[in-house]
Amino acid sequence: MKPNAINWFYFASPATFYGFAGRLAPWFFVLAAISGAAGLYLGLFVAPTDAQQGEVYRVIFIHVPAAWMSMFLYFIMACYGALSLTFNSRLGAMMARALAPTGAMFTFVALWTGSFWGRPTWGTYWVWDARLTSELVLLFLYFGFIALANAFEDPRRGDRAAALLALIGLVNLPIIYFSVLWWNTLHQGSSVNFRGTSMHVTMLWGMLAMAFSFWMYSIGTAFTRVRAIILERERRTHWVRGLAGAGP
Amino acid sequence: MTHEFYLWMSYGATAIALAAEIILLRRRRAQALRRVEEEKDLEAQD
Repeated sequence: MKPNAINWFYFASPATFYGFAGRLAPWFFVLAAISGAAGLYLGLFVAPTDAQQGEVYRVIFIHVPAAWMSMFLYFIMACYGALSLTFNSRLGAMMARALAPTGAMFTFVALWTGSFWGRPTWGTYWVWDARLTSELVLLFLYFGFIALANAFEDPRRGDRAAALLALIGLVNLPIIYFSVLWWNTLHQGSSVNFRGTSMHVTMLWGMLAMAFSFWMYSIGTAFTRVRAIILERERRTHWVRGLAGAGP
Repeated sequence: MTHEFYLWMSYGATAIALAAEIILLRRRRAQALRRVEEEKDLEAQD
């Protein structure tokens, strides 16, 4: 076996990953704070006012990155779910559980900020539009995942059931992404894609900085939460008992 | 309603959501550590 493969298995152990995540999490929070400050500065002070929407367009500096993270985190959560189902990986299941609340929070933020952007631009907080409805379904999928994962006395059964739900729910991601193309929606199409953007460069950089900030924040929170989950699950092991004596 | 209201509602709610998640995370970790301590103490008494 190659040395790299051995390293991956080494970090798949909850005991090893606990220390690894603890060392890295603060750095991800620092990166999130720095890029978040840069993104807010660009978005609120540098980016020009939109000719059509006025100042309210500045909601996009949190709305769009939050919507991206809501889908991205679901995808990563489903990947960890698949990993736990395929290889019976305990850490994979724990990571899936650790990502779900942050994903749900970003989905809520995307819906909330979208409403407060929609009211002055569309004249309504909510409309049963394909993009908005499919994003709401994503929020319910996150809630379903969290509820199902905690519905069983045996956490491993909860892991398997929730992972299965996460994999089934993956079908919603292309629906969200392509909804503005497949249906005639009130929600506008993508301003940024892999071929380029129609936005002003400072708007784009502000949005990308905020997306990076949310991404780093998500890794930081996932690592912090997975440490708590490891403590809860492995509390009867010798290494966790040793940790409790050593303090937080 | 002015545009400032919609901006404050969006940015304010996001800040509250992020802060709440971090507070809940810290609380969960503290609870998990306390539970390990309690079980360890119970075992030591037995």
